[in-house]
Amino acid sequence: MIDRLLDTARGTVDGADALWRREERTTVAFESGRLKAAGISEEAGLNLRVLARGRMGVAGTTAAKPDPAALLDRARASAELGEVVDLAFPGAGTAHLPPISTFFERTADASLNTLIRMGRLLVERLARPDCQVNVSVEREVADTAVGNSAGARGEYRATGIALTADITRIAGDDVLMVYDQYVGADMPSDADLETLVRSVETRLAAALKVVTPPDGALPVVFTPAGLAAVVLPLEQALSGKTVLQGSSPLAGKVGETLFDERLSIIDDPLTPGRPASRPVDDECVPSRATGLVEHGVVGRFVYDLETAARARTQSTGNGRRGVFGKPHIGYTNVVFRMTDGAHVGSESHALGGGLIADIDDGLIVDDLIGVGQGNVISGAFSHPVGLAYRVQRGEVTGRVKDAAVAGNAYDLLKRIGGFGTDGRWLGSRWSPSMRLEGVSVARR
Amino acid sequence: MRDRLAAAVKQSRAGYTEIRVERIWSSAVAFRGRRLETATVSEDQGGFVRVLNQGCGWGIASFTSLDELPAMVARANELSRAVRLDEPIRLADTPPESADAVLELDGDVRGISLSEKKQLLDRYNGAMLAVSNQIVDTQASYRDEVSEVWYVNSEGTSLYQRRPEVVVSGTAIARRNGTIEKGLESIGLRKGWDSVQGFDDRFRVVAQRAVDLLEAPRVRGGAYPVILDNELAGVFIHEAFGHLSEADFVYENPQARDMMTLGRRFGKPVLNVGDNGAAPGLRGTLPYDDEGTPTQDTPLIREGILVGRLHSRETAAKLGERPTGNARAISFRHPPIVRMTNTYIAPGDTGVGFDDLIRDIPLGVYACGAFGGQTMLENFSFTAGWGYMIRDGKVAELVKDVVLAGNLFQTLDRIDHIAGDFSWNQMGGGCGKGGQFPLPVTEGAPHVRIEEALIGGDV
Repeated sequence: MIDRLLDTARGTVDGADALWRREERTTVAFESGRLKAAGISEEAGLNLRVLARGRMGVAGTTAAKPDPAALLDRARASAELGEVVDLAFPGAGTAHLPPISTFFERTADASLNTLIRMGRLLVERLARPDCQVNVSVEREVADTAVGNSAGARGEYRATGIALTADITRIAGDDVLMVYDQYVGADMPSDADLETLVRSVETRLAAALKVVTPPDGALPVVFTPAGLAAVVLPLEQALSGKTVLQGSSPLAGKVGETLFDERLSIIDDPLTPGRPASRPVDDECVPSRATGLVEHGVVGRFVYDLETAARARTQSTGNGRRGVFGKPHIGYTNVVFRMTDGAHVGSESHALGGGLIADIDDGLIVDDLIGVGQGNVISGAFSHPVGLAYRVQRGEVTGRVKDAAVAGNAYDLLKRIGGFGTDGRWLGSRWSPSMRLEGVSVARR
Repeated sequence: MRDRLAAAVKQSRAGYTEIRVERIWSSAVAFRGRRLETATVSEDQGGFVRVLNQGCGWGIASFTSLDELPAMVARANELSRAVRLDEPIRLADTPPESADAVLELDGDVRGISLSEKKQLLDRYNGAMLAVSNQIVDTQASYRDEVSEVWYVNSEGTSLYQRRPEVVVSGTAIARRNGTIEKGLESIGLRKGWDSVQGFDDRFRVVAQRAVDLLEAPRVRGGAYPVILDNELAGVFIHEAFGHLSEADFVYENPQARDMMTLGRRFGKPVLNVGDNGAAPGLRGTLPYDDEGTPTQDTPLIREGILVGRLHSRETAAKLGERPTGNARAISFRHPPIVRMTNTYIAPGDTGVGFDDLIRDIPLGVYACGAFGGQTMLENFSFTAGWGYMIRDGKVAELVKDVVLAGNLFQTLDRIDHIAGDFSWNQMGGGCGKGGQFPLPVTEGAPHVRIEEALIGGDV
């Protein structure tokens, strides 16, 4: 399909690249402990970008039998209005793609009954009186092909499987929700399932008792899930797009030590077994790791082809595109790597990741409400807690409600109070818990 | 198309079968700063099949290749039969409907050139950029669509719906040294080209506000009397209460049902809340939902008492209530689930104005506009676009980072005054639930006073 499309484009435009993707998804859903639905979805789409008289245009289609000429016409019409950009498509020479396992046969071949069994096992392990357990299992097999008029081609199959468990416990007007997931390219092992069950159980057990929230500027342990509010501003500010637009507070700071020197952040598309891993990005750029923050120093921003061309730098292989619209910057696997020697592994699943022993009064934050709203890139955040625990004299004393935490991500990450021993994947991010000092906690 | 779907339904071996096919024509233009990002025309199409068998669960298939329709009906049937249930799924009865429900296009977007759309957005984007050299970045987007939906089920319902939509939105980013602020405008209508002209001033105003916020102090965290403007009051009722009134939250959960017992007092007698999918001309409006049930005005809270909830056919059957036309899917890629449409706080007495609400507040916060909101059932958060302190009964200085954190039950009960100045707030974006985002919805409200609410921020 890609070859036919690029052949059609040849001679009529200055250059072109395209992505074709076919996805097959199988889902089973358990609602309140009962298997309620099974579904499949099949979707294929084609996205074309052209350069015509130096201007860029795009078009996409989900038609079953796409007409290359019609798609090309739409892309050229789009280019007539498009901006001039000095885009260079990577050549065939770069076609040597890094070997990376994205496809796992046993994931692709898992039968509907296997998926149902796995979901049922989770439901049974998590069942308890007065709790509603929702579980879903979703398996995906995707074929991706990319190519461009400079002769580069890339193709790969990928699998993904996601198990999610949602527990809701309502007692009077108190609503408690605990959520966790396993996401991987390969099927979860028994140990993975056990970890998921234990993670939910631990957080549920500690949440049954409700205690008064503390108040003031306090040490707060952000769990890997709770870290989202702190990580999101960084992810936005490290994008070449916001740097180019002048809205990134990190623009012009490459080489400066802005964060705790034990903190490194890497975008790594080559991590084995992760659904976000890939040998090549959606613009034919071979994958490689990018050091975003290295030992507290701002390293490199991530770019796709267009933003790289405008910033006069190289794409970092972070091009991502859907069926419709033009390619944009997207992270792959974002890995928080700690270099203080002592804590790196994922040996502990205790709440707080071993960071609470010397906290006299503080919080463990596992979920905040409303992350991503507001003025994210400024680093300032202020959110009510969704799921948080009070720590007193080194111990978890219960769940707190009706409290809000606030701070500035850039300031808080200058001095990290400690990295937990509970590093884990959460979607496409790997991190341990982090203890941050002087976080504002307000209670009603 | 309807005949084709009817034939496929007829061939289905399942007890209940429904098929939905969508064809969506859309165009989009986007600017980032002075630079055009994209100008594209897209055509998206696909189908959705859902079947139910006696003693079995739902079997679902979605696909982009319509040639495979009969095969997909068969696959969905197999999937349904693989899901064994002790307690059967029942669907509440609805009379079969047969209709062409064609909403007014108000200037067919398909007949306007992409370059005209680019010019319009360029003007709105330019209006933001021209405000100050402290506006360092903008994002402006125009998107329109005309979606055609065919729906046929095995109970005799056969519908064709045409739903237009147009959204213009802009974000202005102001920066002074390390301080970055934003202003947001968004207009989303279930209409066409003619309805999005002449909004230059609205884009200018939000850019100016972003600049003003650079100098504004952060609001000091704590508990205050809070006045919500119309927009934020609408977001509040959607987030804080609307999601709890979706019956899929309670229908399988006895404890949740206890919490949401009809007849329970939720607020003072001044509070009236509802959801109206049949309100004319709004973005959340649709003649029929995605199960073929006609939409309606559903009272949820009347004089402070919980009186209703939003249903699909499945949740209505389970609770022995009537379907309300709230089963919606964002596209053929998804099953219908219980969703809001146009959710509102009804206006108070026409004589009551904003001044009456703030007159007796010595120190409070006037929270305006909405950057967004999220709910975790009893707890919610919403982020105002900007705010003002209220001092001695008067609106005082501009403040920023106004985030309201709250508990639903306490907060609803603390609404003590509602003004008469109702307006619908038709924004772009939409609501997210169960992986389905963005669903077009509208919220409407007058100015609302909360006796005391928690504002996050520095303490």
